[in-house]
Amino acid sequence: MLELTDIHTYYGHIHALKGVTLHVMQGEIIALIGGNGAGKTTTLRTISGMQKPRMGTLHYLGQDIAGVRPDTIMQRGMSHVPEGRRIFGQLTVRENLEIGAYTVSDKATIESRIQEGFEFFPRLKEREKQLGGTLSGGEQQMLAIARALMVAPKLLLLDEPSMGLSPLFVETIFDIVQRLNRERGTTILLVEQNASMALGIAQRAYVLQTGEIRLQGPASEIASNESVRKAYLGED
Amino acid sequence: MENFVTGILINGLLIGTLYAIIALGYTMVYGVLQLINFAHSEVFLTGGVVAFEIFRVLSPAPGAEPGTGMNPYLVFAVALVTAIVVCGALNIVIERLAYRPLRNAPKLVPLISAIGVSLILQDVIKLLEGFQGRFQLAVNVPGAFTRTVFTVADTNVKGIDLTLLIVAAVMLFGLNRLVNHSRVGRAIRAVAQDRVTAGLMGIDSNRMISLTFLIGGALGGVGGVLFALKFPNLDPYSGTIPGIKAFSAAVLGGIGSIPGAVLGGLVLGIIENFLGSLSGLVFIFPKLAFLGAIKAEYKDVGAFIALIVILIFKPSGLLGRNATEKV
Ligand SMILES: Nc1ncnc2c1ncn2[C@@H]1O[C@H](COP(=O)(O)OP(=O)(O)OP(=O)(O)O)[C@@H](O)[C@H]1O
Ligand SMILES: [Mg+2]
Repeated sequence: MLELTDIHTYYGHIHALKGVTLHVMQGEIIALIGGNGAGKTTTLRTISGMQKPRMGTLHYLGQDIAGVRPDTIMQRGMSHVPEGRRIFGQLTVRENLEIGAYTVSDKATIESRIQEGFEFFPRLKEREKQLGGTLSGGEQQMLAIARALMVAPKLLLLDEPSMGLSPLFVETIFDIVQRLNRERGTTILLVEQNASMALGIAQRAYVLQTGEIRLQGPASEIASNESVRKAYLGED
Repeated sequence: MENFVTGILINGLLIGTLYAIIALGYTMVYGVLQLINFAHSEVFLTGGVVAFEIFRVLSPAPGAEPGTGMNPYLVFAVALVTAIVVCGALNIVIERLAYRPLRNAPKLVPLISAIGVSLILQDVIKLLEGFQGRFQLAVNVPGAFTRTVFTVADTNVKGIDLTLLIVAAVMLFGLNRLVNHSRVGRAIRAVAQDRVTAGLMGIDSNRMISLTFLIGGALGGVGGVLFALKFPNLDPYSGTIPGIKAFSAAVLGGIGSIPGAVLGGLVLGIIENFLGSLSGLVFIFPKLAFLGAIKAEYKDVGAFIALIVILIFKPSGLLGRNATEKV
């Protein structure tokens, strides 16, 4: 469903992705792990059209999407939950969801998706009229995910959803990711620092290091890899 | 004494409403771009010039047979619509030419460009009217607007005053619907908060920024028409002082806040009128003779001192958000 081949992305002179090749198949949960500054966020930004790759090919649902604008890509069923959640703090929870559905024109569809979001995240329903900025970190993460679901994505890009959350909330978020995948068949590309959790729910994984894919394979194999255990799973 | 206070409140409310309408243009643009659109005072004045031209062409000349010519309210409506179109379009063009190319430059750069646009527009207005041998523009205000409609507590309320309040009320209502209860308004607020993420939601931020300039310019244009009818002697520099006042009102209310701009405008208008009327107290309390020395001309100085004092105690403005915001 998604295929990156030898993607190079730059920020000015900074060469952030140095030939990334990876693919995601329909229905999979794929983990993308790596240390700080490895290029995980840049990979997601490149896929969702926020950053234009300088070289390489990027195919999504059989079409070349390199350099296509984010809103166009979004309308083809891809949604990106950005790093740091980036919810609209001065908009209410409901307004955040409505903004998530900005490209959806049918009012009834928007309303039914809001209700679906509330079913997934009952906490958000209780806080419907509250400003986004007044939510706790975990609730904000739920809102960021619920907002991304407003376009009923086929492919969901998640950038460190567990960042800064208490273990209980991390558990909740990972449960929801799995449920989305199981119940709705949403394909998921998950970027995580929390490698053990991510590898626990993913089928396959890629390890990114300084802009290059260092390792790839079934999640269980990656999880038992010696160097991965040392570098990302906090073992020595 | 009661009449004195009522008079201050009524006149303060009228001037304050005018400031509020102009202040909205500053605050909305600031909200989306964190830019002070210094050219807004000239966009506003352009509204006044439009009113001058429309009333010059469509209204009967002063001293003509009563009852001849177009209905004054119809002329007013034509002036309003023209000013909305002209000033809205002008503001969009200003953003496109002078601010958008500098979008990623340091914040100070577009500010300089804004000052430049302001000066250029003053000269353009001077040129356009100067070619026709005019520098002072005496607006041909129909009698319907200068006539006293009724008198409350010794204060005369004129046709223009009522018109001003009605137009302002309609606009504020419409603006509130648009900004707080429509899809486009939500998108504008999203762009104001986080342009990148708004883009990720499929919002074209450039379009929303243009739309904000359109709304701000249209409000400025309406303000200019009302101003021209209330203070019918314009020149190319007439935008400056009301512009500075309206900008101050926006800061007083909390720059970026729409209700803040309205409140700031009203508060500034009332403070100013209060200070301008202090010498009048001498007639009520003869012992306070020193007040007689406070001439009405000092009201601007007083208003700004009051402004500074308020901002010392509330730096983010009356309704402004605190600088620190949970992310
Ligand atoms: N806007 C930017 N301008 C310049 N350089 C950038 C920018 N964003 C990222 N970089 C650089 O690109 C490289 C990859 O960054 P990226 O954010 O993709 O890393 P990451 O793997 O997501 O790291 P983290 O785990 O800390 O989020 C880093 O060296 C970073 O400094
Ligand atoms: Mg990152």
